[in-house]
Amino acid sequence: MIDVRDVRKHYREGEAQREVLRGAEMTMARGTVGALVGRSGAGKSTLLNLISGIDRPDGGTVAVDGVEIGGLSERDRTLFRRRRIGFVFQFYNLVPTLTVAENVRFLLDLERAPDAADRAAALLDEVELADRAEAFPDRLSGGEQQRVAIARALAHDPALVLADEPTGDLDARTGGRILDLLERLTRERGRSLLMVTHDESTLSRVDTVFRLADGTVTTERAG
Amino acid sequence: MTTLARSSRRYLTRHPWLTALSVLGVALGVAVSVAVDLANTSALRAFEVSGEAVTGRATHQIVGGPGGVDGRLVARLATEAGVTERAPVVEGDARTARQPGRVVSVLGVDPFAEASFRPFVGGPGSGLDAGSFLTVPGAVLLSEGTARGLGLAVGDTLGLRVSGRPETARVVGLLRSDDDRSASALHNLLVADVATAQEWFGMTDAAPTRSAPDRVAGERTAGRLSRIDLILPVGDAAAVERVQAVLPAGTEVRPASSQAEALATMTAAFRLNLTALSLLALVVGVFLIYNTVTFAVVQRRRVLGTYRALGVTRGEVFRVVLAEALVVGAVGTAVGLALGIALGSGLVRLVTQTIGDLYFVVRVRELALSPAALLKGVALGLGATLVGALRPGWEAAATPPASALRRSTAEDRLGSGAGRLAIWGAAVLGVGVATLWIPAGVAGAYVGMLGILAGTALAMPWLTRLWAGLAGPVMGRLLGPVGRMAARGIAASLSRTAVAVAALTVAVAATVGVATMVSSFRTTVEDWLGSVLQADVYIQPPATVFRRGGAVLDPGLAAGFAALPGVARADAIRVRTLDAGSGPFDLVVSRVDSVRAGIYRYKAGSSEAVARGATRGAVAVSEPFAFRFGVTVGDTLTLPTDEGARRYPVAGVYYDYGNDLGVVLMDERLFAQSYVDTGITGTALTASPGVDPADVVARAKALAVGRQQVTVQSTRDLREASLEIFDQTFVVTGVLRLLAVAVAFVGVLSALMALQLERRRELAMLRAQGMTAGEVRQMVFAQTGLMGLWAGILAIPLGLALAAVLVFVVNVRSFGWTLAFVVSPSVLVQAVALAVVAALLAGVYPAWRMSTTPPALAMREE
Repeated sequence: MIDVRDVRKHYREGEAQREVLRGAEMTMARGTVGALVGRSGAGKSTLLNLISGIDRPDGGTVAVDGVEIGGLSERDRTLFRRRRIGFVFQFYNLVPTLTVAENVRFLLDLERAPDAADRAAALLDEVELADRAEAFPDRLSGGEQQRVAIARALAHDPALVLADEPTGDLDARTGGRILDLLERLTRERGRSLLMVTHDESTLSRVDTVFRLADGTVTTERAG
Repeated sequence: MTTLARSSRRYLTRHPWLTALSVLGVALGVAVSVAVDLANTSALRAFEVSGEAVTGRATHQIVGGPGGVDGRLVARLATEAGVTERAPVVEGDARTARQPGRVVSVLGVDPFAEASFRPFVGGPGSGLDAGSFLTVPGAVLLSEGTARGLGLAVGDTLGLRVSGRPETARVVGLLRSDDDRSASALHNLLVADVATAQEWFGMTDAAPTRSAPDRVAGERTAGRLSRIDLILPVGDAAAVERVQAVLPAGTEVRPASSQAEALATMTAAFRLNLTALSLLALVVGVFLIYNTVTFAVVQRRRVLGTYRALGVTRGEVFRVVLAEALVVGAVGTAVGLALGIALGSGLVRLVTQTIGDLYFVVRVRELALSPAALLKGVALGLGATLVGALRPGWEAAATPPASALRRSTAEDRLGSGAGRLAIWGAAVLGVGVATLWIPAGVAGAYVGMLGILAGTALAMPWLTRLWAGLAGPVMGRLLGPVGRMAARGIAASLSRTAVAVAALTVAVAATVGVATMVSSFRTTVEDWLGSVLQADVYIQPPATVFRRGGAVLDPGLAAGFAALPGVARADAIRVRTLDAGSGPFDLVVSRVDSVRAGIYRYKAGSSEAVARGATRGAVAVSEPFAFRFGVTVGDTLTLPTDEGARRYPVAGVYYDYGNDLGVVLMDERLFAQSYVDTGITGTALTASPGVDPADVVARAKALAVGRQQVTVQSTRDLREASLEIFDQTFVVTGVLRLLAVAVAFVGVLSALMALQLERRRELAMLRAQGMTAGEVRQMVFAQTGLMGLWAGILAIPLGLALAAVLVFVVNVRSFGWTLAFVVSPSVLVQAVALAVVAALLAGVYPAWRMSTTPPALAMREE
């Protein structure tokens, strides 16, 4: 599913260069749930950006679902993301000018999917927000917004869901429910889920833990 | 509607104030440009329509020298050249006694010759009763609309003032028009018999040329005519040659369209100046659009970043940003067109008034809704929107998703690029200045001016950051942390603050530029008047068009003025309008001795050379004449005279600001050799030493009573009247200047609102931590005031640069005038005050909004 080989990435900071990834390698199997952990600034978001094709590695290869992303044009990487990857962000990133239902069907609409409305309604039902379909995001609590974001991430039936600290902005109880929901829906659909987390307690529910330190990845089997 | 479009629509409707301001910005820009365009095209159409009525279906016209055309030619054209369709015409202007400000055109025609030329006079269904038209003294025909406007019916009489003399017209019938266009063409037109018109305009006397043929007894069109209209077979050059062969010296045949073309060319520079000013408003409008779209992009960085992260392509983001801008642009354009039409109907009066004062009588003053002007407005509105939206749209699309999610990307980019932009700005400014040296006409000068404006605008982020850096410590000392934050806020939000400062700077600089140009012009004219108005009393019959003499003074009266007690010297002045085929100019005839020649200041040659030259057949020309026809001292000038074309050497080029069409100054003895004296048009009296000019004025007025209405003015009166006319001609400019400032004000208001609204969360947090509402207001005003002050300061050098281009390039290329460059300190102080007040006013709403929004609400809305 995810195949990262000898990936290097650096950023310029003024005159200096900071190497964030130094030959990182990781492999995650299809239909599994993985956790990417590491200290702040270890490069978790950078690696997530490389896997999603938002950014390109300076060296090495990143393949998702058999597609080598670094070799794609910017437009093709964007379309790959649109069709094969679902995103859940720490701060939800819902579009404030779209209703809950419109947010969920956003990518389906871009692809002109004929059953967009039905699929969005079914997913909202699953995340128990069917009654809020016509509300705008600013009327929802943080937990509710993240449930909408999960529905949006799954609406176009992606091969891989990437979640960047999905519970980072929520209290422990709500966070727990969100993780339950995310894990359940992904597994039910046979999709892969890779989430960035700081929360060690989360690791018990994943199949694989990828620990990022000093620019390299160590893979641990969970539980 | 797609999801992206729906999201955009909601963004626009959720920020109604910002959307409305953007719409208003585009609307004002479009409105000013459309209004000026409509006013210009209406003025031209007015002339065209007026011309249609008097030219009719004529293909050619026979015109003479300044004395007119010999009326006996009408008969000879038939017998010697075989021309069957020919119509004598006498034309002139008169004022109505009932409404003294109202000018009417008088068209004297032969009703029997008219059917082919002007069917509304002699054609079938015209309802002309030839009997009463020819036999009733002063009989006139006029359109129903004109009769209604003057409160007249058939049988009524109408008092006229022709060259100051009273005449009586009698309405014997009404002219019928089939459609609106012909109704407009007949507006303010009186049609009289040719003999009546000749009597009114003093053209009943014998042949004007010395070489004229013998008078044909009984020919009713004898006397002088303004012209003879002809209908010649299309493309028949031989027919034209046959006509030319029978014409006496000084008379020629021309295509009927040449007059209209010459007058359109004549007003071209005036109209171009108005168009340039209107485009300035649109340039400011482009800033506004740019600012709005940038704001929409910056404010939605997070959403755009999310779009990109989720899989929306760059092309889709670019299109959505552009589409949003175009929606605003389209609504703004529609509103602008409506506003433009309303504004245009007001402006057309000002423009036709100015053209009427300066060039020729415009009878038609209605707004003509030209589809081309409206389409141009649409193209400008949408085009300006596209130009304004391209860069922010590109920025939004080019930002990679990862960094799009970082809030400060746009500011980082602009901040780091400010220096590079400034270098580009300097280069563009340099190119703009260099363009001014290329002799590319007035349009080239405006391109150069645009380069200067664009260059300054590009350097604005760097200049604004510099200002914020300089102002920070001072503001800190004055207002403490609030002052420091205000200054730093300017540098931190360069993408909006720099644009707002640029828009305000450009608009205020435009006011400085135009005001300095006008004051330079006015000072020059004042100095010039002081120099040329050497006599004490000036007398002339009232003219219908300022700067167009021509009305003749009663000869007995003129002699009487010269003989008045206390008059030491009387200079008779004759003004004739000549046309050598490339547009009209004036011939001013006077005694050109050392005294008279000495009142002028010379650009080339000297008063002695001109006085000496006058005795040897030379003339002097005004600076605009020299510019317009490309002549200078030593050249020989060919002028049409009553005896055919004559050549005159040019002995001097003198400064003259009273006539932009050009003047040839000729000595009266030289004039008498080739021209028929049709009477003097004015006289300048010099009082004897010790005599109060006011006494001479009183005596002259008393002498004229009951004989001819004349304007008797002391030097001071004439000076004041001239300056009043001068000021009046710049009213249009003033109105457009104010409109440009209004657009800029909306721009600054929009930019500041955007800026402050974007900082709501930051301010809410400060409020939450203990900053009072008053301190928030203080910070907002400190920031807007600083921006206004900087815009005002920058507007001074930029405005003076614009003024220099207007004075030294545009005026020279438009009219050939050399003007002094006069900088008025009050204009500069006003500019800074205007910028600061506009900026402070623009800060009122954001300050109120920021200080009254509960911190919790503002934080939640983010």
